[in-house]
Amino acid sequence: MSQQDTINYDAVLSKFREDPFAYVDINAMHTGHIRFHVREGDKVEGLTGDFRHIKGTLLCELTRERNQKPIHCTTNGEVSFVNKVLDGQFVQAGEKIMTIRHPLKKREIIEQILRDVLVPFAAPEKAKYYFAMDIQNRIEKFGQRSVSVKAGDEVFTMSLMKRDTPVYYTGEAGIIHSVYFKPGQSMELGEPLVGVCPPEKVAVVEKIITRVKAEWE
Amino acid sequence: MKAKILIANRGEIAIRIAKACEDLGHDFVMIYTDADKDSEHVVRYADQTGKDQKVWRISSYTDPNEILSIADHTSCTAIHPGYGFFSEDFRFARRVTVRDRPLIFIGPKWEVIKDLGDKINTKKVANELGIPTIPGTSAPIYNEMEAESVAEKLLLEQREQGISDPSILVKAAAGGGGMGIEEVHRLEQFRQVYREVKNYAKRQFGDGGVLIETCLRDYNHLEVQLLCSQHGERIHFGTRNCTIQSTGRQKRLEAAPGFDDSCFNYAFDANDVLEKVVDYSLKLAAHVRYDNVGTWEWIVARNGQPYLLEVNTRIQVENDVSARISYYKKKQPNLIREQIRVALGAKIGYSQRKIKFKGACIEFRIVAEDTGRDFAPWIGKITRFDFPKHDWSAVYTQVPSDRHYDIPSDFDPNLALALVWGDNIAQAKERGRAFLEEVFIEGETSAGEPMMTNLQYLAENIDRLLTF
Repeated sequence: MSQQDTINYDAVLSKFREDPFAYVDINAMHTGHIRFHVREGDKVEGLTGDFRHIKGTLLCELTRERNQKPIHCTTNGEVSFVNKVLDGQFVQAGEKIMTIRHPLKKREIIEQILRDVLVPFAAPEKAKYYFAMDIQNRIEKFGQRSVSVKAGDEVFTMSLMKRDTPVYYTGEAGIIHSVYFKPGQSMELGEPLVGVCPPEKVAVVEKIITRVKAEWE
Repeated sequence: MKAKILIANRGEIAIRIAKACEDLGHDFVMIYTDADKDSEHVVRYADQTGKDQKVWRISSYTDPNEILSIADHTSCTAIHPGYGFFSEDFRFARRVTVRDRPLIFIGPKWEVIKDLGDKINTKKVANELGIPTIPGTSAPIYNEMEAESVAEKLLLEQREQGISDPSILVKAAAGGGGMGIEEVHRLEQFRQVYREVKNYAKRQFGDGGVLIETCLRDYNHLEVQLLCSQHGERIHFGTRNCTIQSTGRQKRLEAAPGFDDSCFNYAFDANDVLEKVVDYSLKLAAHVRYDNVGTWEWIVARNGQPYLLEVNTRIQVENDVSARISYYKKKQPNLIREQIRVALGAKIGYSQRKIKFKGACIEFRIVAEDTGRDFAPWIGKITRFDFPKHDWSAVYTQVPSDRHYDIPSDFDPNLALALVWGDNIAQAKERGRAFLEEVFIEGETSAGEPMMTNLQYLAENIDRLLTF
């Protein structure tokens, strides 16, 4: 059975129609004193501007050692939860401070659906990952969707326990369609790092994109 | 004076520092990151909350703002950096001590760290004092062409000396502890290795500077343990030998004293060389007015020629190896306690003559790794972790023995330091073998494969200790 046949487009799209939001938890990125700048129900903006150079809404400020760390919203939406008891308190890194309800855009819905279609390349260990030097150069020069990979190619550098190890691609050949990690970010074992689109799946991917674009307001 | 000390480190050293604080009657505070939430250094002290809260979660062990913020919030009066992280960062030491609410940095004063903490500076100062150092660059190189020309010169020099397979070491200038060092045998390999080390250095240390040195082969790696005070006292606790290292130049077995004639037929007078490296170390310490614990690292060639490698301006992982062969008033000292005492302004209070050296000590660094595959780190869950208890052994670990433990992937997979000592090196080796036989470590990967450790490697290498 082909991948095309296994996707029930109506079911997938109706799931997004019922709850067309993503719920983004904001955690204290550092330890320090926190002061909130938004309340529940406030509308917030993510990065804007032609070059995405205008910072999002100021959500809160963390003060540590007289250094103020403003935390700006990275996505648009509405503040659906604020942990009010923390206002003015000394919080520890990682503590949940608020939740943003973000209305999904067409592009984001397409990306989420494509996760089930593209060939994932999963993190072989819990570690930090970087693109291999050659792949990174090609992505910078031509964009990720112009970079094709095949089994045996050195695609990533895995930084694990302070040791750099090359990671070789094992899977169907294709182009790097989606990237699911940020260089240097710690990824769990088995989490997909990239989604690769083999030539035979190009038609499915195009169909999904067309369908979502046509049916999503 | 009762101090409250923020322990800015993790794992076994954080526990050793906490114990030293308790012994001296000082209060302390721990920090941890999410990856370490199951470590003994956290769980053991996590039951206290409210104003007595002892453990605080931070985003990173290398965020000075958070560390100082917690120090202020918890009214700490001093910071102990342990080893690694900020321990040799003179900017951090300065920032701790020069601020509106100054704290005591438990280590040498920042000016001394600046002079010696950087191996390039150390080389320069040592050369000025006539202390021998390894031939190579004395400043970091950022230019590939310049680096290649240095590499070519060093390889040529070795060939002219009749060395059949000359090689050089390419090192991350800002690195330490054996990380970011690669060996190059042929000039045509150089550019690729240079780029790799430069990229690694940028990622790990934030600076892409690279050092290039002649690679000495057939040598022993020695360490001299010093303790100095702010009152001009300077004493040593003898020498250690840490020649047996992993391919990544991480120490695995270490012994004290540095040489022993019963282990090898040295081509030089072992005691004379040991005295020489101690004297050179004290000379450099006096010159920079060193004022805390420190380790002077040496390379000794087969002909007995010593070369100063670097100075670790901090407490070192293996400090206890020296302490276990040193006796003051018939007791083995605790160098972490001594370090805290002198940093808080106390005098050492005893002279070199009062320290008696006796016997030998071996330390095993027990690591989850595949020694047959280039010491590749092993990741997984530890399900059993048992060590024997003897009056001639000690174990320092952050791994719990009463519950399962996932090894965090953010750090080296060091599991424990095990020390054994005896009346002489032969007895220490015999006890070491017996000790390793009694260790039980079990675990599995997420795929259900059994755990790998270096226990067998450690046992197989005991006889190599103190030899060439």
